[in-house]
Amino acid sequence: MSKEPVAVVGIGQTKHVAARRDVSIAGLVREAARRALDDAELTWADIDAVVIGKAPDFFEGVMMPELYLADALGAVGKPMLRVHTAGSVGGSTALVAANLVAARVHGTVLTLAFEKQSESNAMWGLSLPIPFQQPLLAGAGGFFAPHVRAYMRRSGAPDTVGSLVAYKDRRNALKNPYAHLHEHDITLEKVQAAPMLWDPIRYSETCPSSDGACAMVLTDRAGAARAPRPPAWMLGGAMRSEPTLFAGKDAVSPQAGKDCAADVYRQAGISDPRREIDAVEMYVPFSWYEPMWLENLGFADEGEGWKLTESGVTELDGDLPVDMSGGVLSTNPIGASGMIRFAEAALQVRGQAGEHQVERAHRVLGHAYGGGSQFFAMWLVGDRPPDS
Amino acid sequence: MPDVLKAPLVVEFPFTRSLGPVQSAFLTGLRERVVLGVRTGGDDGRVLVPPVEYDPVTAEELHDLVEVAPTGTVTTWAWNPAPRRGQPLSTPFAWVLVRLDGADTALLHALDAPGPDAVHTGLRVRVRWAAERVGAITDIACFEPYDGEAVQLKGNTGQFENPVTGIVAPARLDYTYSPGRAQSAYIHALGDRRMVAERCPSCRKVYVPPRGACPTCGVATAEQVEVGPRGTVTTFCIVNIKAKNLDIEVPYVYGHIALDGADLALHGRIAGIPYDQVRMGLRVEAVWTEGSRYPDHYRPTGEPDAEYDTYKELL
Repeated sequence: MSKEPVAVVGIGQTKHVAARRDVSIAGLVREAARRALDDAELTWADIDAVVIGKAPDFFEGVMMPELYLADALGAVGKPMLRVHTAGSVGGSTALVAANLVAARVHGTVLTLAFEKQSESNAMWGLSLPIPFQQPLLAGAGGFFAPHVRAYMRRSGAPDTVGSLVAYKDRRNALKNPYAHLHEHDITLEKVQAAPMLWDPIRYSETCPSSDGACAMVLTDRAGAARAPRPPAWMLGGAMRSEPTLFAGKDAVSPQAGKDCAADVYRQAGISDPRREIDAVEMYVPFSWYEPMWLENLGFADEGEGWKLTESGVTELDGDLPVDMSGGVLSTNPIGASGMIRFAEAALQVRGQAGEHQVERAHRVLGHAYGGGSQFFAMWLVGDRPPDS
Repeated sequence: MPDVLKAPLVVEFPFTRSLGPVQSAFLTGLRERVVLGVRTGGDDGRVLVPPVEYDPVTAEELHDLVEVAPTGTVTTWAWNPAPRRGQPLSTPFAWVLVRLDGADTALLHALDAPGPDAVHTGLRVRVRWAAERVGAITDIACFEPYDGEAVQLKGNTGQFENPVTGIVAPARLDYTYSPGRAQSAYIHALGDRRMVAERCPSCRKVYVPPRGACPTCGVATAEQVEVGPRGTVTTFCIVNIKAKNLDIEVPYVYGHIALDGADLALHGRIAGIPYDQVRMGLRVEAVWTEGSRYPDHYRPTGEPDAEYDTYKELL
């Protein structure tokens, strides 16, 4: 028996900001969930199960937040699952929810991811002082910056490519009312004049720290037929993992990322992603990860990804727009970041992306990764149901 | 086999919590010696204490705050003979669920009682307020047995001057940490300023620090291999912002160093050379300082730079 087609019929997110001091964590997730239900014109009673994700518990100090949040998400008397795959968790949470629908376990599932970074300190949560171990010497960006330098060496990319990504993403964010950073006076010169925090990574090329939540309502074919607005259809979805450190790890283009993308393309019948996919919303926490992931995901040959960025292909009006929402560079509630990527892909194919809508977005890839390039989660969504 | 190391690990952090409207009213009320519940919707509205933001049954948003009495009845209890750090009382006490007069649900708190014989389900109790109240659950110091009159309520609905909108919720976890057999051996060898890796019996890759198992093959590693002390800088960044709790002047260079004989790079600081002259392929060696378990940094050896092809798999 074939899988049930999975449709996205509701999307909701909060206006992402540095600190939402007006709401509790429950109030934050509620806001996103309510908007997703409203978009789908459904009520709590229409939801069969809830799948929630967030980054490590240390990030907020709420152990097993799914227990505390069951009331706020109408999960009482229903199955509720929590997913946990570090920074990719928003993506893998959506995929777990989608698989419940695809397997016909549930008809309609609410999936949601969140982070309230203002209530904690993610850097502290990631660098607990373990006895006998040398303390981390470089801070958050120091983990990523050597990989960026490795990419620059390997590809021969000019130094300016990272700044082009940051400039583009921050301009895209200006068109997205939910984005955290709205830098109205952004210029390329300003991006390039920002101080190097972890050379080769500039301050302007790093992601912010945000409070926010994102929710989606996923449903089966029958649910999609009742939907008030066009659904996004899942054409393929996959997760892969590999250790953060091992002999032979390619931190510039991890094998798990390549395998994950290949699995999604196989499910969706994609043989040439560069031609057959119309836009990509990918997880770019530091600007240079755009060209790196373009290669990892098969949109460019190895060492060639930066050319797409430099020639404007990844601009909102380019041939392969990337990070139309403004991306992680403009909004980063860590646990929700992956789901925001997945939701943006769905918004695009539904034609609901507003000012940052891409024309002819028939098939869009959503991508998430996390944990030192340890976890990957991706889905491809389309404006038409998969061939059955 | 050398001893496996162990050490205490205490993880603690002062998390902050934005309260939202319902918890804000509840905790501000405690500061003002008022206990608030929230009434659920419908004709059979129940009063939930402590109040919640969303109806556990219907998922509807709740905001109808009602005052309940500081007196109530124990619905169940458990004796705590040995109070631990951070618990409400330092002498033995009872954990109790108390249904306050006017409430339909019970609140968990501590009951100050001389012994378990003095506690029973159905016991009448009242709030003992803390002398100094700040808008926190600890504003209720504990409960105490009470057989007096019911208290007159003023019908407070949760409107207060200067409401509490956030609290600090310190979290603390106590562990005993052990790095295990392989890392203990590595750390012991560091004491002799030697870096001892382990080789995978299957793929033959040499891991430093060793983890006791090969993450690729999933088999135990046991064969010890000394690596370094020289190595190659495979990639790096220049750190320009000072990390907290780290006494290193910026800028400094943080690099990946492939020690000679190892099959993956470890991380360390590069010094003994101006920061802007560090490059990929630079040959370096470990520099130890008195009393330090790990190499303090790595400095240039003066050898010619390594060819890119010799370390391109070790970035």
